[in-house]
Amino acid sequence: MSAPGKPVLLGCRSPEKETFTCWWEPGSDGGLPTTHHLYYERERLEGTYECPDYLSAGRNSCFFNKNHTSIWVNYYLTVMASNALGNATSDPFKVDVMEIVKPDSPRNVTLRVEERKDSPCLHVRWRPPSNTDTKSGWVTIKYELRVKKDNSNNWEEYMSGTQTHFSLYSVSPGVVYTVQVRCTLDHSSWSEWSNTTYVKISNYLQNERPFLMLISILSVILFITAGFVLIMKRKSVKHWVVPPVPGPKIRGINSQFLKVAGSEDVSNALIFNQSFPPIHFVWEDQMEEYLNVTENEDWLSFNSQKRKKSLIPACFHFDSEIHCKESTCNQNEWEKDEEISKVDNNNKPFTNTGYVDFQRHVENVQGANVKHVDYSRIKEVKGNNVLILETENIQISNIPEDYHRVKEMEGDHLVVLQKQNAADINYTDCALHKPRKPHVCTESSNSGYVDTIPAPPLM
Amino acid sequence: MNGTFRSVSLVWVVLSGCLFFSSRRTSVCAAPICTNGKAGCHVLSLANLFDRVIQHSARIHGISSDLHSEFEQYFLPSKNQIGRVGRICHTSTIITPNGKENAQRMARGELTEVILKLLVAWRDPLWHFHQSMAHHHDFNNFSSNKALEMNDMVHELRQGVEKVAEKMQVQGIISNSVSSLASPEDLLPSDSVEWQLMKDYVLLYCFRRDSNKVQNYLKILKCRIVPDHGC
Repeated sequence: MSAPGKPVLLGCRSPEKETFTCWWEPGSDGGLPTTHHLYYERERLEGTYECPDYLSAGRNSCFFNKNHTSIWVNYYLTVMASNALGNATSDPFKVDVMEIVKPDSPRNVTLRVEERKDSPCLHVRWRPPSNTDTKSGWVTIKYELRVKKDNSNNWEEYMSGTQTHFSLYSVSPGVVYTVQVRCTLDHSSWSEWSNTTYVKISNYLQNERPFLMLISILSVILFITAGFVLIMKRKSVKHWVVPPVPGPKIRGINSQFLKVAGSEDVSNALIFNQSFPPIHFVWEDQMEEYLNVTENEDWLSFNSQKRKKSLIPACFHFDSEIHCKESTCNQNEWEKDEEISKVDNNNKPFTNTGYVDFQRHVENVQGANVKHVDYSRIKEVKGNNVLILETENIQISNIPEDYHRVKEMEGDHLVVLQKQNAADINYTDCALHKPRKPHVCTESSNSGYVDTIPAPPLM
Repeated sequence: MNGTFRSVSLVWVVLSGCLFFSSRRTSVCAAPICTNGKAGCHVLSLANLFDRVIQHSARIHGISSDLHSEFEQYFLPSKNQIGRVGRICHTSTIITPNGKENAQRMARGELTEVILKLLVAWRDPLWHFHQSMAHHHDFNNFSSNKALEMNDMVHELRQGVEKVAEKMQVQGIISNSVSSLASPEDLLPSDSVEWQLMKDYVLLYCFRRDSNKVQNYLKILKCRIVPDHGC
């Protein structure tokens, strides 16, 4: 049994800057029933006063209502514990209401999920604490909220200013969100966090996901295959997009041949190309440039124009150069042709390969084996243009009906043949030769003849 | 040498010409006076003016609170050590409402006058405080800057509140009894003993309280006069 112990003033709090409450901790009671009294003095107020309300705020507390509360003045509080044996007084506690403001938590925190197309959002709404007076402008409340996902311990905090609502846009479906709100009055301390509120956002979006995934996978596969196809066919694609410009080509030169051929063949091809300028190539194209060989004069006059094209041209490739280079080009020869009498009507024109007179190089003849300088038999043909002439004198007794005598030259392309008279002429047979391009069959005779090697018999 | 001298003088001439013309232009721009919704001139409403001065006062109170807590750290005066008798704020002679009801009951003109009195009363002490802060090497530049800022802002706030009062008088909200107030010397002579006794910490303590008063009174006034805007 003793006097009571010294009580301790714990602190005071004003929830709205209009009233305040103070609490104390009693000391030991000394085994006797002890009463506590709170006395205060106030700045600018004479006298000591006792607590006006011990009950409203609970045990060991003192509640100062509006009438007893003054802001911006200091209160000096003391608590006295007294029992039968003595008193005990706490240390003075200075308090200014301005400094002890701490509001209550916001009320009625509600969460609402808005399910929009792309992403849901969360709307939070609350009410200010009941006892604050914002209407008169006495206090201005500012709010703050914090959000937590599922069971994690990380809170995300957001300032809401003076609004009593807030929207969260980055919310994921299927997650439980926990929201708390607190507030402050002007520069006061923050209130406690409100009661937690939960909401779970539904998973309605999950159904759409597989479908979207499927579509995206299909499109990716399509892209990849298209890419592969393009890569495989890149050459043709390239040709289609950028068509190649045709390069220059030399006729008679097969570039592919040149690539694979050996050096001999290549040099042959090139040499051949050098010594024989491609004038004969020109002749190939000029299909009209035939030599029309016919017996009939009348046929000539009627059909000369038509028949221009009927004669097969590629009988013989002769070089006009050789023709021009002939030194012993005998004028007499041509004169002889003119003396040939006219043939009677024989309307069979030549459709086969026909031969033309050509002037050979006299220089090439060796010896005097060839009786007549104008004609020589060809021994063989090398390549396309080289003729190897026969030096021996060959005589054939028979007179095949293949041979004709040139009667006259009509223009540049028409040779009129004389109808043959077997007895007069000494023919040589060149049917022994195999017909090949160019068909050349000449004989050494003393008159100008055009030999032919017909495939079918003429008559 | 001659060439450089000439070029330098030319540059100076050009610069001075530019400055002259620009100053002329700005002075010309500053000349037109806004009168009641002239085109191109934004006239502030009373609500806007109130919002601005309230924001200003909130900021002032914030700075004063920061400085006060800094001082507390430095000197560690126990809360109860400040004697009840010795300490007195020089503005305690000004009668101010000490609660919401009292502030609401006070007439608007009277309340405005109280605000202005408070602001005027703190002009010189804050300037002295700033000077003493500048010479004190105990405190960092941060505190010194805050003191200067506080000084300037109180000056601006007083001008703002005077404008508000003027506008209210024009609109007939308050009577013309709110006259241009007397200088603070009327409250306290500049070389008074109280000032010298007043230590910085006490000054900050008192100013923190008074800035909170000003903020609250302005808010009450605003919601009484223009209640629709955020009350």
